[in-house]
Amino acid sequence: MLLAFDWTQLAQQTVIGLSVGGTWALLALALVLIYRSTGVINFAQGEMAMFSTFIAWSLVNHGLSFWEAFFLTIAISFVGGIAVERVVIRPVERAPELTVAIVTIGLFFLVDGAAKWIWSSETRTLPNAFSTRPIDVAGVAFSIEDLGNIAVSVGVVVLLWLLFRFTKVGLALRASAVNPDESRLLGIRVSWMLALGWGLAAAMGAVSGMLTAPALGSFDQNLMQVVLLYAIAGAVLGGLGSPIGAVVGSLLLGVFITLVGTYVDWIGTDLRTPFALAVILAVLLVRPAGLFGRTAVRRV
Amino acid sequence: MKGISYVLAALACALTLATAASGAGTATPGVTPTEVLIGGTIPLTGVASAYSTVGLGAAAYFRYVNVHGGVNHRKIKYLIKDDAYDPSQTATDTRELVEQDHVFAIFNSLGTEQNLATRPYLNALKVPQLFAASGATTWGRDYKQWPWTIGYQPNYRAEGTIYGRYIAKKTPKARVGVLYQNDDYGKDLLAGLVRGLGKKGGLLVSKQSYDVTDPDVQSQIAKLKAAKVNTLMVFATPQFAIQSFVYAHKLGWKPKSYVNAVSSASNIMGIATQGAGKKQTEGSISIVFLKDPNDPRWAKDKGIKLYRSIMKRYKGVHPGNVYNVYGMSVAHTFVEALKKAGKNPTRASLMKAVTHLNVKNDPFLLPGVIVHTTPTDRFPLDQARLERYHNGRWYSFGGLFRVR
Amino acid sequence: MRRALGIALWVLAVAAGIAFFLVLPRFVSDFHSRELAQAGVFFIAIVGLNLLTGYTGQISLGHGALMAIGGYTTAILVTHEHWRDVWTIPVAGLTAGAVGFLVGIPALRLSGLYLAVATFGLAVAMPSILKKFSGLTGGSEGLVFVEKAPKQITGLGGSVTIFGHSMTQNHFLYYLTWTIGLIGLTIAWLIVRGRIGRVFRAVRDSEIAAVSSGVNLAKIKTLSFALSGVYAGIAGSLLAIQTQIVNPLSFTFLLSILILVGAVVGGLGSLVGLVVGAFFVQYLPDVSTHISERPGVPDFVYGAAIIIVMILLPSGVGGFLRRLARPLTTWLYTRP
Repeated sequence: MLLAFDWTQLAQQTVIGLSVGGTWALLALALVLIYRSTGVINFAQGEMAMFSTFIAWSLVNHGLSFWEAFFLTIAISFVGGIAVERVVIRPVERAPELTVAIVTIGLFFLVDGAAKWIWSSETRTLPNAFSTRPIDVAGVAFSIEDLGNIAVSVGVVVLLWLLFRFTKVGLALRASAVNPDESRLLGIRVSWMLALGWGLAAAMGAVSGMLTAPALGSFDQNLMQVVLLYAIAGAVLGGLGSPIGAVVGSLLLGVFITLVGTYVDWIGTDLRTPFALAVILAVLLVRPAGLFGRTAVRRV
Repeated sequence: MKGISYVLAALACALTLATAASGAGTATPGVTPTEVLIGGTIPLTGVASAYSTVGLGAAAYFRYVNVHGGVNHRKIKYLIKDDAYDPSQTATDTRELVEQDHVFAIFNSLGTEQNLATRPYLNALKVPQLFAASGATTWGRDYKQWPWTIGYQPNYRAEGTIYGRYIAKKTPKARVGVLYQNDDYGKDLLAGLVRGLGKKGGLLVSKQSYDVTDPDVQSQIAKLKAAKVNTLMVFATPQFAIQSFVYAHKLGWKPKSYVNAVSSASNIMGIATQGAGKKQTEGSISIVFLKDPNDPRWAKDKGIKLYRSIMKRYKGVHPGNVYNVYGMSVAHTFVEALKKAGKNPTRASLMKAVTHLNVKNDPFLLPGVIVHTTPTDRFPLDQARLERYHNGRWYSFGGLFRVR
Repeated sequence: MRRALGIALWVLAVAAGIAFFLVLPRFVSDFHSRELAQAGVFFIAIVGLNLLTGYTGQISLGHGALMAIGGYTTAILVTHEHWRDVWTIPVAGLTAGAVGFLVGIPALRLSGLYLAVATFGLAVAMPSILKKFSGLTGGSEGLVFVEKAPKQITGLGGSVTIFGHSMTQNHFLYYLTWTIGLIGLTIAWLIVRGRIGRVFRAVRDSEIAAVSSGVNLAKIKTLSFALSGVYAGIAGSLLAIQTQIVNPLSFTFLLSILILVGAVVGGLGSLVGLVVGAFFVQYLPDVSTHISERPGVPDFVYGAAIIIVMILLPSGVGGFLRRLARPLTTWLYTRP
């Protein structure tokens, strides 16, 4: 029985699941960063990442190489993220969180509309960051691109960790997120820390878009809409306050969805997403803060 | 069946009376001595907004026609309402067009579910539902029940049948696998394929579906490869069709591919080739009935030149987008039908014209394709050519097929 | 004396509102009454969401899914069981309320953001679930009343007669929806003013304090969810009755978002601005497409409008109106 089971297929689908989850991980990271600093889920994170991807496309279209466009877009997105925070979020900084959430919803439509206005809705493509030549290991195929995407996600997590742990700016970011009032007393410009958080998140979103687009082979304005939903799910699974959780949660979610879709026929590919969401809910019942999250201690 | 007809008749009487009583004015709504008013629903916003050029292209063509005198001294006014691809909104918008704007006919509304939602209402009121922008078979097949409705493009089921017949004939030992979208569009193509394979139905060894909300189709492609498929039917919309090539390449798998017409435009195949390599897309087969503005074989073509000039002068949007060409073709056909409907067109005379079409000079369709209808043949476009992808371009082969 | 004046003003305002509602159809085109009826659907859903989020502090991103349940309950009863469309409304409300109750149960262990995610999951999953059970729901084609059960549609012939008074179908839909809406608003107002409302607000302001005061958190949260579910279900049912179809594409995550936007723009924690919230959500898309049909511009305008409204009125219209009225209410209710 054990021999009759198609182990190659299992391995192959697992690898695919990791690759799929890998494309969500960076966007999930961006969501976590904003959640930690601003306290809301930025519903526009995906659209901002999509917009950055279009900027990268324009740069490549004007003759830059992929990597030149890549780093330039990150810089532009970083500035853009700060600008968005200053213009759109700052006015509602003191407002109830739901108001801020609605503002991000408005931002979703605005950025989506802007991208459709500036660039037409045709399908486009971005050059691949890494080689897509198939590599075959014991019947399981994958490519450097799959590894590269996961490596970049892990790399960004490490960079973030270094930033938070070992730099003054990182400390200030963390302090502002945890206790804004006391941070102000310490002389930290909390408002600018928020802006910095948005800039970093936008930069990460840009990376996410620029890696996802070539991985899918093509992109248009709808690129990140489905990815956003899975990124939210992955981030929640991992624990919304935890960067590592965002990456691990996304990878796990990717593998889980892929395997369920492959092996459970009744669920098949139609119901695998609802099923996955139900499972996340079940996980939250057991671990309310997600896999890596820390349960908040509530002050009475 | 009988009950429905009775009720629809009663509804028609009552609503016609109500509309008349509410001051619809002339006997023919939407027609004045200087103007013909038509309307339809198009997703201008939302996830399907990429198809908006189906309506915008038609609008540009009407502007061109109006500048050149219109039809029988009447200008054509085309109202587009945004339904954001939501059938509930389609129902509301269509009602508004009929009851508030008093349009002459509903024209070029986009979407299968969307047109299905309004078909009973429009037929009950005897409002022409012209050239539904959807490849479902029912528009042409079920005319006895819904005589005021007609489609336009070659339907998906027929397209699938062509592929099935071709495979059964030319590669009778193939192992066929299908990647299809989990809705009427994908299922119709699949049903057609099965029909075309006929007795060779056993050639179909694997079918994998995906939902538009799926992140990607890697998993499905891997399953198809694992089933040792060597002939892949890509019954998917452009972004998923591109994915299927790219992922097959990543898995080191090179099946012979059949790409459905919706996803076979030159720029789409170009992107797939870029991402998956020339060898992956080489030899792909599809059908075509429209002229693709990005295809080099039409670079000097009169019809495409007309297309480009209309897009430029009459505020067309995104000229590289092939859905514009479709919009212009269907608008061109409407103009022909309106001419045939007479100097004082009525809804009945318009439907009569629409069911007696024989348009040979559509500049936007493949040479030789005729827009043809009779009262018992309600498929305006049912011809196409097979084409093969070679060295980065499509080449037609064989003759004009009947896509039935 | 001032108190009596305050009550008198209040009664006058309510009377004016009711009179306006009764008379409005005369001033707009017949078809426009139907659009107003659609705004009424949003209104009912928004009132329900407000009870949950504004007063009990629980977040739901899934009210569109609860509307779907109400709408499909109505559609299934009409097309499969041949019920008269209007009689399905209470059943639709109760069914959605039951689902709301079930969703509310885990809320005891989860709170805040995680509840949002659970409801979010429900909203995202709903179209797939609806498509899967196609025997009942009609799958991706949905259910079309005129095709399957035309005799069950009220007003199919164009006019409706109630108690001897005849009116067009559009007017009927308007009065049906807004009468239910105003009744729903009144009930919400009574709840909010009463003991349960105080308990809701206690839970919103501090769960721990509420529990220490003896509140049964589980009971209150599930009650709140169930209640708002009933409203959403009725809203969904009315939507199905108005459009005479249901389809998975009509109940995507976007709908849940729109209801939330309407509730926040209208003003959470207050019932006054909710009508404005409903109109905002109903008419803004139209206005955006009127400004330009060019791809992208309507979405851009729509998003910009939402952002600008939220920046200018962070507590929504209701909050703004209350701030405006503060000098008056202060004057009315303080001793001279």
